[in-house]
Amino acid sequence: MEQLTIKKFHQGLTEKKFKVEEIVTDYYRKIEEKDVQIGAYLSLNKTDAISQAKKVDKDLADGQKLNILAGAPLAIKDNISIEGEPATAASKILKNYRAVYDATVIKKLKNLEAVFLGKTNLDEFAMGSSTEKSGFKIAHNPADLERVPGGSSGGSAAATAADLCLAALGSDTGGSIRQPASFCGVVGLKPTYGAVSRFGLIAMASSLDQIGPIAKTVEDAEILFDIIKGKDSSDATSVKIPVKKQSVDFQPGTIGIPKEYFEAGGLSKEVGRAMDEVIKNLKDLKFKIKEISLSHTKYAVACYYIIMPAEASTNLARYDGLRYASNLKSETGKLKLLDLYLKQRGEGFGPEVKRRIILGTFVLSSGYYDAYYLKAQKVRRLIKEDFEKAFGGVDAILTPVSPTTAFKIGEKTTDPLSMYLSDIFTIPVNLAGLPAISIPVKPVKNLPIGFQLIGKPFCEKEILAIGKKYEQK
Amino acid sequence: MSKLIDKKTLEYLAGLSRIKLGENEEKQILKDLQKILDYFNLLKEADVSKIEPLAGGTIETNVLREDEKNERKEKERGKLIDSFSDKQDDFLKIPPVF
Repeated sequence: MEQLTIKKFHQGLTEKKFKVEEIVTDYYRKIEEKDVQIGAYLSLNKTDAISQAKKVDKDLADGQKLNILAGAPLAIKDNISIEGEPATAASKILKNYRAVYDATVIKKLKNLEAVFLGKTNLDEFAMGSSTEKSGFKIAHNPADLERVPGGSSGGSAAATAADLCLAALGSDTGGSIRQPASFCGVVGLKPTYGAVSRFGLIAMASSLDQIGPIAKTVEDAEILFDIIKGKDSSDATSVKIPVKKQSVDFQPGTIGIPKEYFEAGGLSKEVGRAMDEVIKNLKDLKFKIKEISLSHTKYAVACYYIIMPAEASTNLARYDGLRYASNLKSETGKLKLLDLYLKQRGEGFGPEVKRRIILGTFVLSSGYYDAYYLKAQKVRRLIKEDFEKAFGGVDAILTPVSPTTAFKIGEKTTDPLSMYLSDIFTIPVNLAGLPAISIPVKPVKNLPIGFQLIGKPFCEKEILAIGKKYEQK
Repeated sequence: MSKLIDKKTLEYLAGLSRIKLGENEEKQILKDLQKILDYFNLLKEADVSKIEPLAGGTIETNVLREDEKNERKEKERGKLIDSFSDKQDDFLKIPPVF
């Protein structure tokens, strides 16, 4: 059977071609069959999913009109809270924790009667680009099981690509939605900073994190984005999106090609060729292509790997090993408090998380603050201004998502810096707080490749419109 | 390139971070951090003399609200307390500080 999208699922449901329960049961059958190898899910929520499915089936039988998301089986990254469900962020330190409330995005999806199949795998606390750094299990790329699905939302991207869900939610701090979407051959949207509430997202770097959809089509990504976006009183950084920016009549405009991204060392031949093909297709669609310069791009990775660990070291200070269901009763009598903290955090966090907390503590420490953290904040402004200048002359910016296709499992685990550098094309977008979408092109040697469209702040609709046009071609 | 972080500094940072590191872990992190900090030298050439720091996302204004009791949070508070490793009444029970 052809893979279902949110749109097709809704049509099929309203035309009574199938019941929600059948589709949900079928997804669980596929998960049981395939996910042993892929490792996309960390936990499943069969009981609630089936009962929610039955409820929607009954509503439909009773003649109620269904909204677009009713009964839609979705997968949720395990750093997003669903009340009563595990929310481990793939960390052993949260192994026994169950979320005590719904994230705002979850509340919005629940209001529309979506079904949650389960929680998906990620790099621990969303720190990584391969989902190899999960505290529980490695995730694999459905296109080639020896390769990584990307990360940190690798589980959500792999589940969507392998059709183990209709669509998914992920989070993106430096590329964690777009890069796995590109590696797995699905669509991923990182909204403008502030477009979607982060309430209920386990925080990594608060000035960079955003929740967004991973889907099989641009249209599905847009459906989910329209539902989850909006101002939320529980997230002071969320904003009301200006109405005039909410819908766009499609008109081909000018797309900027930043020369620094294409001159960067490490851009593989396959990805380079795929980008040429995308440019050709966009020209066919009557877009004007214009070379632009984002001259501070080369500083982005260094800037990001100072700011992000600084914020993460602060955010992760709350995990003391005593709260969040840490099952410690037997230990509490034996150790002094400080020793208990040291032990719990030393054992509960994985190597990448520890490295980033310590790096963050260093760049914030007295004597180094100005040279690293303050400097990085200033460079961050330069990077943002690069984009502002560029958007004076173009409507959107086209870049690759990642310099290469999905790499082999184990290929980059021994050298953290090489892993960090693979995020060069996605990181600047987070530093500047912009929206960007990753859209798949035709796979090369069976390995998916994506291109990235970066938009002006709160102009998701524009990049989605270009994406839809591209998709229809 | 001079070493910015030696074993002693690392132990200090790990202490501040409340993380106990094993012997091998220390060696590995020292090696990784040195490489990463060397890479950060790239930023030295960026001219930021007239640039103000950018602290975050897209809005930089305060968001204020009335100081009111939130019933929903009362319920959540109860569930969070349930998730404590050990407790007495509504308080988290911890080992002695000294």
